[in-house]
Amino acid sequence: MREFNFKNPTSVRDALKLLENYGSQAKVIAGGTDLLIALRNDEGPKELKVVINIADLSELNYIKDDGEWIRIGANTTHTQVNESELIQNEIPALAKAAGMVGAPQIRNRGTIGGNVMNASPAADTVPVLVALDAILAFKSTQGERKIPISKIYTKPYKTNIFPEEILVEVAFKKLPSTASSAFIKLGRRNALAISRMNVAVILDRDSSGVITDIRIAPGSTTPTPTRIKVAEEILLGKIPTDTLIDQAGEKVAEEMIRVSGYRWSTDYKKPVIDSLTRRGIHQALEGEK
Amino acid sequence: MYKYIRQAVPKVDLVEKVTGKAKYGGDLKFHGMLYAKTIYSQHPHARIISIDTSEAEKIPGVVAVLTAKDIPGLNTLFGGFHVFTNDKVRYIGDGVALVVAEDLRTAEKAQKAVTVEYEVLPPILTIDDAMAEGALAIHDYAPDNVVANSLHCLVKGDVETGFNEADKIYERTYETQFIEHAYIEPEAMVAVPNSFERYITIYGSIQNPFNVRGGIADALGMNLAQVRVVQNTIGGTFGGKDENLAFIGARAAIAAQITGRPVKIVLTREESILESPKRHPYRLNYKVGVKKDGTITAMEIVGIGQGGGYNKHSQFCNWRGAIHATGCYRVPNINTEIFSVYTNTIYGGAMRGYSSPQTIFGQESLMDEIAEDLGFDPVEFRMKNVFSPGDINQSGQLLGPDTMPAPLPDMIPMVIEKSEYYKKKKEYTNQNENSPIKRGIGLAVAMRGAGLGGEALDATGAMVTIQDDGSVVMHSGLTENGQGLKTVHSQIVAEILGVNLERIIYPNADTTVVPDGKPTVASRGTMIGGLAFQIAAGKVKEKLINVAQEMINCSCEELVIENEKIYSKKNPEVSVSYIDAVKKAYGIGVMLASLDWYSPGVVPLDHHTNQGEPFPTYAWGAVVAEVEVDTETGKVEVLRVIDAHDVGTAVNPDTVKGQIYGGIVMGQGMAVLEEVEIEEGFVKSKNLDEFLIPTSMDMPEMEVVIVETDDKFGPFGAKSVGEPATEIPAAAIVNAIYHATGKRIRNLPCNLERVLLGHKLTRKGAVK
Repeated sequence: MREFNFKNPTSVRDALKLLENYGSQAKVIAGGTDLLIALRNDEGPKELKVVINIADLSELNYIKDDGEWIRIGANTTHTQVNESELIQNEIPALAKAAGMVGAPQIRNRGTIGGNVMNASPAADTVPVLVALDAILAFKSTQGERKIPISKIYTKPYKTNIFPEEILVEVAFKKLPSTASSAFIKLGRRNALAISRMNVAVILDRDSSGVITDIRIAPGSTTPTPTRIKVAEEILLGKIPTDTLIDQAGEKVAEEMIRVSGYRWSTDYKKPVIDSLTRRGIHQALEGEK
Repeated sequence: MYKYIRQAVPKVDLVEKVTGKAKYGGDLKFHGMLYAKTIYSQHPHARIISIDTSEAEKIPGVVAVLTAKDIPGLNTLFGGFHVFTNDKVRYIGDGVALVVAEDLRTAEKAQKAVTVEYEVLPPILTIDDAMAEGALAIHDYAPDNVVANSLHCLVKGDVETGFNEADKIYERTYETQFIEHAYIEPEAMVAVPNSFERYITIYGSIQNPFNVRGGIADALGMNLAQVRVVQNTIGGTFGGKDENLAFIGARAAIAAQITGRPVKIVLTREESILESPKRHPYRLNYKVGVKKDGTITAMEIVGIGQGGGYNKHSQFCNWRGAIHATGCYRVPNINTEIFSVYTNTIYGGAMRGYSSPQTIFGQESLMDEIAEDLGFDPVEFRMKNVFSPGDINQSGQLLGPDTMPAPLPDMIPMVIEKSEYYKKKKEYTNQNENSPIKRGIGLAVAMRGAGLGGEALDATGAMVTIQDDGSVVMHSGLTENGQGLKTVHSQIVAEILGVNLERIIYPNADTTVVPDGKPTVASRGTMIGGLAFQIAAGKVKEKLINVAQEMINCSCEELVIENEKIYSKKNPEVSVSYIDAVKKAYGIGVMLASLDWYSPGVVPLDHHTNQGEPFPTYAWGAVVAEVEVDTETGKVEVLRVIDAHDVGTAVNPDTVKGQIYGGIVMGQGMAVLEEVEIEEGFVKSKNLDEFLIPTSMDMPEMEVVIVETDDKFGPFGAKSVGEPATEIPAAAIVNAIYHATGKRIRNLPCNLERVLLGHKLTRKGAVK
């Protein structure tokens, strides 16, 4: 177990001041479901001196609908996201993904902000947020900036966010009432399982059944999470057929190999991400939202 | 009609456990207690050049750093394991030194400050490596890497004749994996020296206090009487907290003797997975001769176990394996050979089942394969071949009637009916071809020799004392490991003495209280331990009745004791209360106590052929499993398991069910999830986030069928269930997976990759 000092600021402002002082010697802790395990294994930032607790900052714990955007405070737990009626109505795939993280104990501690910032390729809520084109709000003593989620990841477990910054909010534009979504997770077991692979699909159709918007975001597939636009394009502007859906699934698998190379696990992952994608699209087509 | 036997009384140690008040080894604290941490090997195979403890010794708070030179007695213990390895490390869990400090944090720091210089040797990693021509010998005393005394055979009839009579010969190989017990409590030991230095007390998470005592006494150079071992409430063991706790205990004990202070060692989960035994992987080569009509004519089996760096129980597991490798089938001609080899990996040892889950996976997969090839339904094929009353078993023992029961011909129809096997079989065989989700149903059956049998002399003691207020104390050398032993033993004693269960106190095992009653293994707790209590309680009852007959002027034969009352059968009005009889006994100087012993003695058995009486009786089981396989991802859901066990008499139907539910899920883990993965001798599945066991979200719907038979051997006719419960489900699940997918998997576990691709994937490429 690494040794560290523990700071317990009572406001975001105080937390930001601490971060300004300590910079890369500090690490923010919310649920701690990833950080504490790293520290116990003598991992984590080399120069770590302090751990700054933001778990109790209620100003970062909310789920709001401002009419155009859904805004989720970074401290909101997976359980809160999972149980939120607003999320269940607006984007059931996100509620489902949050409800499939780890186990009840982990969901009660772990936060959506932590899931985003841990930058695991297997994170469960991230593919849905990527599919939603979520915008992340970061604060530092210098001010606030907003960045699309897919722009922060540089490689597995790494982001380009400065050590002085805290993620304060995850926001996404509300989907039209005609849109629908799906999230599919494959784990080796039904709880306490890291996603072997997962996929989020969001789509919208016009009254004639033509797909007017589609986003496909797989997890554990590419080194950093991303929408697979080449697969989306197969269905965009078309009435979905089994053949087109099959092609989209194959395209995601092809894209995985193009980006990641043919690795030792690809024999397995190639047919599986193909299948999960097809299922995701079918489920989204059948779903209400 | 019994008052306590066959009653689902709540476990006697239930309240202390569910309220969190039970004291586990890790909870113990003593004044001045020190904390110790083991320095483990950095290589699977390497010669130790030097050990530098100086940096660790400089850390404030470090009290001592110990290595092999500090051992007062023997360094080499059971199975060739060392207290501290000083010549060469043979697996990644070898302990080379111990740091002892004022607090745990300091001990952890010091653990990292000890540096060991190694000359790295090429590791022997697999059964094939170990047996290769010119392979490096891991132990000087085993130049061919074969574990000493590990070869066991069963020979019956003449296999050549049998194969000549066969219409078809089948040859198949089945392989299993290293499996961690994954008990909830990692190992904890505390050694407390006695200030007069006459003896030392060891507390901890100990399955078998007497085995642990022997190892610690050897390491300390003390005699057995000077080492007192007391078992704490234990958080599961399943065979995993056996002699290996002697190595950990010896380190704590040596540190305690040297420092004169209590010393505690608690393993982290990672250390526990590294240092504890695993279920032995086996490679089982089967050759079977069968006639077209389904009659089995011969079986030839060569089994090879992967022992690991040292030998923990290979010889005993293989003995049981040799007896049981042909399953519960009439096979007139048998030639079975099972042996084990050393490898520079984590080691195999006792784990619930003790070779049987592996052999049953092999033989029950094979029975399905043969049945299908010959055009039989698996049920039909088994009904044709399983032992029935009047048959002679593989070792030459006559099975019922009027001797050992052989109830499978009745039990198989029970599980077939309860599971709606034929209906579902038909439904799943004709399921939608276009859906990737396929269901399947599978059967497996087995018999299991109950108790130690011919593996080692079986014997155990029991002590029952009635205090002068009527309360009762029980002692046994056997241990409560969560299986319900205290409850079942208490039920037996309460039944015989006619007292209320609430009067009984049954403390944890303590080696200074009763004689060495052998380990709590081989599903012998109820059967053998119960017999010892039956004798002891029977003698105490006799004394009490003798006292009562004087009090009420009746003959002993006439008297019964029931509901705390001793009365005449002829005239129930003539009676005396239990309490009055107890008081009278104390008043006239009668000792209301008995220390007794049960042993079936040395059993007649030819150890070359294993013909004779390997076991006094057998426990029988039949399991049907239903699965759903996602054929596009390889994910297996176990939907439903129907599990029937012949337990003779169910002393406590609820604890029987508890054993069976747990056994099913352990079998499920073996079938589809669990594997301690090893890469180049290093453990990859270091904690329970990587070694995956089924969670409550994965468990199937389970239905238990308790079968009671007229078995004469055990107390009130009771026999084993602990291991029978876990040995069969994996085989049934694998057979169900085959039914669902049409793909036969002969290597466990049936994980995502194997089910989808037919092989496992590793960084080094595909493996079977």
